[in-house]
Amino acid sequence: MSELETLRIGPIELEVLRRRSTHAGAPTLVLLHGINNISPHAPFLDLLAEHGEIVAPSHPGFGKSPGPDDRDTIYDLVHTYRGMLDALPAKKVTLIGFSFGGWIAAEVAAAGHPKLDRLILVDAFGIKLAGREERDFPHLFNTNPAELKRLAWHDPANCPPGSYGVGWHAAIGDAMSDEEMVTLARNWDSLCLYAWRPHMYNPRLKYWLHRIAAPTLVLWGASDLIVTPEYGRTYAGLIPGAGFSVIDSAGHHPELEQPRAFVDNIFRFAGGGRG
Amino acid sequence: MELWNHCENPYPFVPNEVLEQAESVRASLPNKYCDPKIAAQLYDEIFDEYRLCDDIGLHIVTNEHHSGINNLWAASPVITGVVANITRKARILSLGTLITVRPDPVRIAEEYATIDVISKGRLEIGFVKSGATEMVSGDANPMRIREREWEAIDLIEKALTTQDGPFSWEGKFFTHPHVNIWPRPYQQPRPDFWAATSDLPTCAELGRRGIVNTLLFGGYDRTRQAFDAYKKARAEAGLPAPGEDRFSYMAFAYVGDTDEEGLRIGQKIAWFLTVSIKSAPQFSKFQPGAVAPEMAPAAWRTGASRRPRPTNLDAEVLVGQGQMFAGNPDTVATQIKEFRKRVGGICHIIMMTRQGLVTHTEAEASFKRAAKYVLPQLQDLPPVDADETAWEARRAAAAK
Repeated sequence: MSELETLRIGPIELEVLRRRSTHAGAPTLVLLHGINNISPHAPFLDLLAEHGEIVAPSHPGFGKSPGPDDRDTIYDLVHTYRGMLDALPAKKVTLIGFSFGGWIAAEVAAAGHPKLDRLILVDAFGIKLAGREERDFPHLFNTNPAELKRLAWHDPANCPPGSYGVGWHAAIGDAMSDEEMVTLARNWDSLCLYAWRPHMYNPRLKYWLHRIAAPTLVLWGASDLIVTPEYGRTYAGLIPGAGFSVIDSAGHHPELEQPRAFVDNIFRFAGGGRG
Repeated sequence: MELWNHCENPYPFVPNEVLEQAESVRASLPNKYCDPKIAAQLYDEIFDEYRLCDDIGLHIVTNEHHSGINNLWAASPVITGVVANITRKARILSLGTLITVRPDPVRIAEEYATIDVISKGRLEIGFVKSGATEMVSGDANPMRIREREWEAIDLIEKALTTQDGPFSWEGKFFTHPHVNIWPRPYQQPRPDFWAATSDLPTCAELGRRGIVNTLLFGGYDRTRQAFDAYKKARAEAGLPAPGEDRFSYMAFAYVGDTDEEGLRIGQKIAWFLTVSIKSAPQFSKFQPGAVAPEMAPAAWRTGASRRPRPTNLDAEVLVGQGQMFAGNPDTVATQIKEFRKRVGGICHIIMMTRQGLVTHTEAEASFKRAAKYVLPQLQDLPPVDADETAWEARRAAAAK
């Protein structure tokens, strides 16, 4: 069962989705979401909870987390989540960052934290690799949402109800509640505050990925045309000892399109309750 | 009252089939569709129109938009500097350069001070918040623009009025450790400030600061509400009531020889609304900050962008809504006087005449009629409050 809690990190209040593991003594998995907060109904959560205690905060300004106030940069998110790791009772955590949250997770890991046991980056943004006249990924705000949807999914029909990934605008219709729209609008505005420019990367991060000490897995959807597997492979190559795995029949959101394969990959790497 | 000429220098020469296929006619339409020889001709024509206005007693407004068919004034201070040099009498309003897009307000202050000196004190400085495709063309974060706008205005004002600098500025959005512009402005302490907005909290702040409030095509009711918010804020702050010179309105305008000609040529202006604002969803309703999150369901379900699209663009309808002044000179003068009453007093009418498919010759003819026959009818008008009472009484009588 999911529970929504509120966690305070100094002046910052975070909505946190928690799911207890069915396995006693399971490791703590901290999930940093992508461009939208994680739906409590996403099927991968149940599968993941077979092996670990899930702690999934909504970034400030996303979901029902208030803000962001003046703390509206990636720098602020890094300190927010370092503070959150301090506050969690677990002695060790596995940090899993998806998409935009993968960028944050990479930053947190590069800065280092004594509780960080393992790092998993899933179709992560965050670094600039291509030349000055080539984009590593499309501009999320300047690209037609229909095109974003085409690039983001292996098959958009795989997206579970209530979950929204890149190109979510196409789902707007009678089936979507007002509350969901307000949340999506908050998420979109907040993403823009954090990541309009430089767009979805920190020009300095690639120089410091070598500082990541935690064992790392870089996991990618084979069909991701938003951030391609080639980008992911290079990303992994900049992190000492990092593994790189591809999930077939999945785009930018393998946890939504192929939840079983996604979770199997996680636990081949991270172990966990079922071991 | 004063009449101003505002031309956006549109470029209505891109083939329709190109415009129909383009997802947006701003920001992303390749500039191969802009012929620089045609553009040069347009600049010549419109600068000639400005010279004419200078001669006949109309004032001049410039602005800027970027990367699209609606506007070739890509840098208002550049154009305003040219206008300062080719005119001798007219007031010149830059409305304005995009202060939420440009990274350095100090440079903006320096440009405006220079223009004020070149024009020997004829500059008025206008501020616009901007948004939509402009944020894309200028790679400016569309979030927090209201806050950013005020910080930019504060820094520009301090740069224009500080005479014993340098001073340092370390704000949220802008930092500049060594501000000391040369030349300082010709007008002391600074040129008058204007701002274009119908956002009521912003209008209130304009009121407290005494900045001229101009509305763009707001029609009777929105304009009245905006001006009332301005006046109320001043009253609540214990400040003197504003003069009519603090209020301005921009409308489409065509002064014909006859009512028929005014409406017929006025109809050509509607291109501005029918063609030149076509925009892709990512530049409009889905742009971050376009609507407050709680307003998103209404905006997204209806497909509305930030501003509701007009549904009927017939010139007579636009006239009826107070968004266009068109007809023979007496008709236009009557329309403007009625507008003045209904919004509670106003000094500045900004006429958007050379717009859409209106030609150079047609525009010049309208300006001549406006200056010769309309403007004299707008002088020495009785105070609007007394007048307004009479107007309300007339309307009540007519309703019976």
